[in-house]
Amino acid sequence: MKQAGNNSDIFSIKSRLRRVKRDTNRWSIFTLAIVLFITLPVIAIAVKLLEGPGETWWHLVDNLLLDYIGNSFFLIVACSLLVLITGVGTAWLVARFEFPFRKQLEWLLILPLAIPSYIVAYAYAGVFDYGGSLNLIFRFLDLEFIRIDIMNKFGLAYVLSISLFPYVYVSSRAFFLNQAGNLLEASTMLGVGEFKSFFKLMLPLARPAIIAGLILVLMEVLNDYGAAQYFGVNTFTTGIFRAWFSLEEPETAVYLSALLIFIVFALILIEKWQRKSIQVTGNKASRHIHRKTGTKLMQNLKFILVLIPVILGFFIPVAQLTYWAFLTAEKVFDLDFILLSLQSFGIALITSLVTVLFATLLIYFAKWSNTSGIKSLSKFGVLGYAIPGAVVAIGVMIPTLAFDKWFIGVMDSVFEVKTGFLFNGTLVALVYAYSVRFMAVAHNPIESTALKVSNSIPDSSKMLGVGNFKTFFKIEFPLIKTGILSAMILVFIDVLKELPLTLILKPFHINTLAVKAFEYASDEMVMEAAIPSLFIIFTATIPVIFLNKLLIKD
Amino acid sequence: MNKFLIGLLSLTLLFSCKNSEEKNKDAENEKQEVNVYTHRHYESDQELFKQFEEETGITVNVINANADELIQKMSMEGEQSPADVLITVDAGRLERAKSGDLLQAVSSETLENTIPSHLKDADNYWFGLTKRARVIAYAKDRVDESELSTYEDLASNKWNDKLLIRSSGNIYNQSLMASIMVHNGEEEAKKWAEAVVENMARAPKGNDRDQVKAVVAGEGDLAVVNTYYIGKLLNSEDPEEVKAGESIELFFPNQNGRGTHINVSGAGVAKYAPNKDNAIKFIEFLISEKAQKVFAHSNYEYPVNNAVAPAALLQEWGEFKEDTLNLSKLGENNKKAVMLFDEAGWK
Repeated sequence: MKQAGNNSDIFSIKSRLRRVKRDTNRWSIFTLAIVLFITLPVIAIAVKLLEGPGETWWHLVDNLLLDYIGNSFFLIVACSLLVLITGVGTAWLVARFEFPFRKQLEWLLILPLAIPSYIVAYAYAGVFDYGGSLNLIFRFLDLEFIRIDIMNKFGLAYVLSISLFPYVYVSSRAFFLNQAGNLLEASTMLGVGEFKSFFKLMLPLARPAIIAGLILVLMEVLNDYGAAQYFGVNTFTTGIFRAWFSLEEPETAVYLSALLIFIVFALILIEKWQRKSIQVTGNKASRHIHRKTGTKLMQNLKFILVLIPVILGFFIPVAQLTYWAFLTAEKVFDLDFILLSLQSFGIALITSLVTVLFATLLIYFAKWSNTSGIKSLSKFGVLGYAIPGAVVAIGVMIPTLAFDKWFIGVMDSVFEVKTGFLFNGTLVALVYAYSVRFMAVAHNPIESTALKVSNSIPDSSKMLGVGNFKTFFKIEFPLIKTGILSAMILVFIDVLKELPLTLILKPFHINTLAVKAFEYASDEMVMEAAIPSLFIIFTATIPVIFLNKLLIKD
Repeated sequence: MNKFLIGLLSLTLLFSCKNSEEKNKDAENEKQEVNVYTHRHYESDQELFKQFEEETGITVNVINANADELIQKMSMEGEQSPADVLITVDAGRLERAKSGDLLQAVSSETLENTIPSHLKDADNYWFGLTKRARVIAYAKDRVDESELSTYEDLASNKWNDKLLIRSSGNIYNQSLMASIMVHNGEEEAKKWAEAVVENMARAPKGNDRDQVKAVVAGEGDLAVVNTYYIGKLLNSEDPEEVKAGESIELFFPNQNGRGTHINVSGAGVAKYAPNKDNAIKFIEFLISEKAQKVFAHSNYEYPVNNAVAPAALLQEWGEFKEDTLNLSKLGENNKKAVMLFDEAGWK
């Protein structure tokens, strides 16, 4: 009896192991399928590399490449520094200390993300311009106007940093809030000073979270076109546009894109290496930090410190935009804006759902595959974020058009039915392109929360014969919910702001606020662009507040 | 779980939307329409599209994007492209579309008779709609009109550190450079660009309006700008911009020679236009007196239809002699112009 029971146990364990093995293969294939689907446009562009660069490639190398590399490198270094100081500094202050208006500042610090970088650039140019707001203030105070020229690479680094630092703020604050409590308590009990425990303990531990945010920032920085072009700074991305449009050579543009992807890939590798070298043990959720109050003076000082980036990144641009909106309201505003906002909102919502779905599937299929090769491969899914939107759009058109033309051919020859494009010029192609482009934005927060979930619970659940999906919904999903929601909201905001890709792929009859703002701004009607820009900010603000509530609750 | 259900639901919704869109498309085929790919995104254009719809009952569907992106899109879409009309803000891009086999020749007496021959393609692949002149804006108090003469003169030593002009990425500068190449030869053009770079008061940045503001701020004494932007500046909602516009004077270069360089916005009928007749009707409408008045008055552009007078502001600047070099030449030389810019170090 006993022996028979043992046998059947062994048998069932064996069969379960076999099933696990079979599943592993299946999940590997699923992961590959999703990676392929998401990177298809990138691959389509990469294939073009085989055709060789255009004839202007060497012209570009001789005359411009050094400038592109120099400026892009400068931006990477300068923005990293500024963003780290601002993002990590503010995150630490709001997570560790109590001071006046802390709760409001916590979500205000996310808001700079809601303004497209190129609009921030225009707004700042408007502030410092001759006859600009600062000039008017000086005149009002009867002071001699000293014009500060911000339209150069230093100004560009400033503008990009002040509008992008929230990526670092959000990711490092999440770490401080959720993971730092116990350790901090221990270090305080051991008598380690506040400064020392921040620099020696918190910073090294928060490094993966901080770097994850930083990489998003750097991808955005490398990808910026509008602000760099307006400030007259030549970067890789302005070079891609120059090669493609002015030199009429898409092949050369693709070569530049490839170089850009190479840089981003190097950054991703660095991050991977970073994560490996510091294995963070604090996998489990930790107690919340008990906030320190301190003296009234110190409280006010912290309040001012945190307020500065909010003023620079949000209130100054918004004030300038509001002033312009006030001047142009009569000419520009009509009820269409409400409709436009709804359309933008709808597209952004659908896209964020789709993108987050794919990101989650990608992460968990890779995890279930239990193969390190597949896991590394799944990282390629985020490459789209590094490629300029216009190039992604072309990358999306290559495979979808091939399919559409094949489809039209089949319908025509087999069924003798004349049809139009199935995907191109529809929402499907647009949403697909957004997903390709913003996969990184969704992937990062979900992955970092997923990493926090200890493997032991899902593992035991699986040993008990519960399927992967059921385990996911019952156990893992509730634990990574905040990651998923942050991802959704970040994608939502990014889609609201997205421009070049939307311009190329948007269907007839559909318009977005960003397109509307661009129509004005690109024609030197920057003031008229203020109203659609404010609508973008307003539409994005609601989910930002929502996001913050969720993060705090977590 | 719920989130996923919502996700799935939206996906199905998305696909069903798509399907119904397809059906709509079939239904719309019965309906008259014209699909316009345009680089122009002005209120004046939207107003005109609306008027066209009201007058003819033909629905105007618009895709707005950069001309190069639109050309890329059309060439990728190939025979199935829904595009009927391509509108760009410079002849160079239309020429590129023509040489890329994306446009078709059109025979329309209205178009051929109304538009002067240097403002349209010789083979009738595209037609100019409006004009803008590239002129010199100068500070009244620091520059005397007699010191100004030609574009070539901008290379002269006397303007050292006084010249403001935007980056070479800008299509209007590229066209200007191409025209100088055609008129004076490559060698001379390159020398000219090098000397102009030497004369620049600052590294090129900003847009045309910013160049004017920099003149007013005293960063330099003269700026090369499009007339159209001066019109916009003078009619800006910002009193400071109006002031800036008022404190400069305009000069039309090369009046004693070939004439002032102009750009055109233009339109061509797509090679595979599914609604060719409507496309022709549409372009004819855009050069009609009524439409040309709208372009002229609300957008400060010079009409191509000689029966229509420019806006009052433009008339104040006086009549001028324009360079009648066929604009196709600019498109052909655009790429070379950009390469010369790069070699001359014009950012």
